[in-house]
Amino acid sequence: MKSNDMAGQKVTSFLPAGFLLVVMLPLMILPLAAVFIYALQEGPKTFMATLTTRDALFALRFSVIIAFATAAVNVVLGTYAAYVLSKTRFPGREQLGIILNLPVAIPNVVVGTSLLLLWGPIGILGKFLEPLGIQPMFTAFGVLLAHIFVTFPYMVGAVKPVLDDLPVTYEEAAYTIGASRRQTFYHVVFPALRGGIITGALLTFAHSLGEFGATVMVSGNLRLQTQTAPLYIFSQFEGGNIAAANSVAAILAVISFFLFSLILYWNRKRESKKAR
Amino acid sequence: MRRLVVLLAAVAGGLAVVLWTVWPWLPLAKNRQSRTMVIYGFAIVEKTLTKSIFPAFQKKWKERTGEDLEIISSFGGSGTMTNQLIMGVPAEVAILSTELDMQRLYRSGVLKTESWKRLPYGGVMNRTPFIILVRPGNPKGIRDFDDLAKRGVRIVHPDPLVSGAANWAIMAEYGAALRKPGAKEAQGKALLLGIWRNVVSQAGSGRAARTQFENGFGDALITYEQDIIATTEDHVSTQEAVYPRSTILSEHTVTPIDKHIKPHQRELIQAFLDFLWSDEAQMLFVQDGFRSVKERLNGANPRFGVITDPFLIDDFGGWGEAKRNIIDRIWKDEVLKELKS
Repeated sequence: MKSNDMAGQKVTSFLPAGFLLVVMLPLMILPLAAVFIYALQEGPKTFMATLTTRDALFALRFSVIIAFATAAVNVVLGTYAAYVLSKTRFPGREQLGIILNLPVAIPNVVVGTSLLLLWGPIGILGKFLEPLGIQPMFTAFGVLLAHIFVTFPYMVGAVKPVLDDLPVTYEEAAYTIGASRRQTFYHVVFPALRGGIITGALLTFAHSLGEFGATVMVSGNLRLQTQTAPLYIFSQFEGGNIAAANSVAAILAVISFFLFSLILYWNRKRESKKAR
Repeated sequence: MRRLVVLLAAVAGGLAVVLWTVWPWLPLAKNRQSRTMVIYGFAIVEKTLTKSIFPAFQKKWKERTGEDLEIISSFGGSGTMTNQLIMGVPAEVAILSTELDMQRLYRSGVLKTESWKRLPYGGVMNRTPFIILVRPGNPKGIRDFDDLAKRGVRIVHPDPLVSGAANWAIMAEYGAALRKPGAKEAQGKALLLGIWRNVVSQAGSGRAARTQFENGFGDALITYEQDIIATTEDHVSTQEAVYPRSTILSEHTVTPIDKHIKPHQRELIQAFLDFLWSDEAQMLFVQDGFRSVKERLNGANPRFGVITDPFLIDDFGGWGEAKRNIIDRIWKDEVLKELKS
C-alpha cells in the first residue's frame, strides 16, 4: 500500500472496490460463506465430531501427504522442464511447451481415464504389469501419478518467466570466470529462481489438495486407502451428509486461503527485493 | 531477533503439521498392523453397511481371531461401481443393485464364474419394494401406478441407461399392469407409455432423482421403500408414501470377486459373506428399512407398508430375460420411440 501511495498513481477509492464486492458477492463470496454456514450449522461440537471421524481424518491426512509429494516431485521436474524450455534451443521446443501446458485445458477426468487406460489392469501397459503383480492404479502411487500430471504446468508457469527474465549476461559472466554449467546453475541461476520455485511449489500443493476429476478415476475412491479430501466431500454429499461434507470443505478452504496468502507474501517480498 | 522468532515459529508450525499428518503411519505400539478387506457397494446400502453391518462384523472377527479388521469401502451408483470394477478396482466383495450388473461383471471377465449364485438366496442380500412418493395430502390423488398415467401428473424418474433403481422402477410399472387379471403385454406397454409421457426429468441415479423431488420438483417419484423409511426418521417429510397394490421387490445382490481374493484372505471373506445372511445382520437390515430375505424377521419393523401383491424379477424369467424382452424391446425400442414420434 505504502509504495503505491508513494508512486502517486493509485488513489484510495472505495467505489470501484464496493462495486466489485457487489458483483462478487453472489458469484464467489456467498457460495463460500454457505460452506461455512452449513459446516457450522449444527454447532461447533458437530463440526468437530464430523471432522474427527476416521474417514475424514484419513482423507485430510492423505490429501496433505499427496500434495507434499506432488509438490516435491514437481519442484524438481518442473524446474528442470522450465530450464530446458527457457535456456536451450531445439526443434519442437515450442510444441513441447504447449504439450506441457495442456493439463490446464483438458478436463482432469480425461487425465484420469487416460492413466487408467494406460496403467490400469486392462490398460495398454498395465496388461503386462498385472501378471507380475504390479498395479499402480487404485493405490496412493496412482493418485500421485495423476496429481503430478495435472499440476505440472503450475510449476513450469511459475519458474519459466523468471528464467526468461534472467539476463543472459549473469550466466555468461559466470562462464567467463570459469564456472561449469552445473556450478552456474547452483550459484547463479538457482538463487534467482528461489521465489519462483516457492510460488510454484505452493501453487502445486494447493491444486493437488483440491484435485478431483483425475483422482476419482485412478483412486477407486477407496475410503481409508485412496480417498482424498475432495473425494470424501463428494461421497458425503452423495450420501446426504451435508454437514460432514462441509466441515472438510471448510478446512480445505481455510488451508487454500492460507496457502495463497503465503504466495502473495512471497511475491511481495520478491518484488521489494527487486526494487531495492 | 524478531526474524528469528518468526522463523522458529514457522518451523515449529510446519513440523507440527507434518507430525500430525504422518501420525497414523508412525511405527508406534498402538498403530499395529491390521487386517483389511475391500468392499465395493451401491449407494443405497452405504449407510447401513458402514454404520451397522461393518462395526458388527469387525467386533465378531475380533472375538474370533483377536485381529483388528479394517474395512476399505467405496459407494456410488450401481452402474458406476460396475464400470470401475471392470476397469480393475481390486475389490474383494461387490454389492450391486441389480443382478444385471453382476452379469456385466461376469461377461467382462471380472468374475470367472457366476459366483453370486453359489451364495445363499442366489446372492440376494436384502430386498425393498418400489413404491410411489407424492406430495403431502396427495393433491393429484395418486393411489396406484395407473394414476401416474393421468394427464397433468409430472413424474421424476431416474435414467434407466445408468441407474439400477430406474430399471427396477420400469419392471415395477410394467409388472403392476401385467398382474391384473387377463392382462397381456399390450396393457403393460400401454401403462409404460402413459407413465413415460408424464416423465419430466431423468436423473442419473435413484439418489439424484430423490434429491430433485425433495427440492420440490415434480408431483410423483417411484423409489425404494427403504429410502423413505430411512429418511423420514430424521427429516420433516415433504412427501408421503403411496403403496401400489402390486409392485416389485428389488433384490440387491452380493458376490465375492474370486480373482482379487488372495489365499490368506479366503477365510475372512467367507466369514463376512456368512455374516451377511446371519440373523444378526439381517435384523440390522430390517431395522434400517430393508426387508430381510428371511420372511420371519420382517415383522420386527412396524414401518413396513402393506403390499397386497408383491412380485419378483424371477416372475419375468430373471434379469437376463427381463432386460432383453422388457427394458430393451418394449421400453427402449417401442415406448421411447413412440413418445418421440
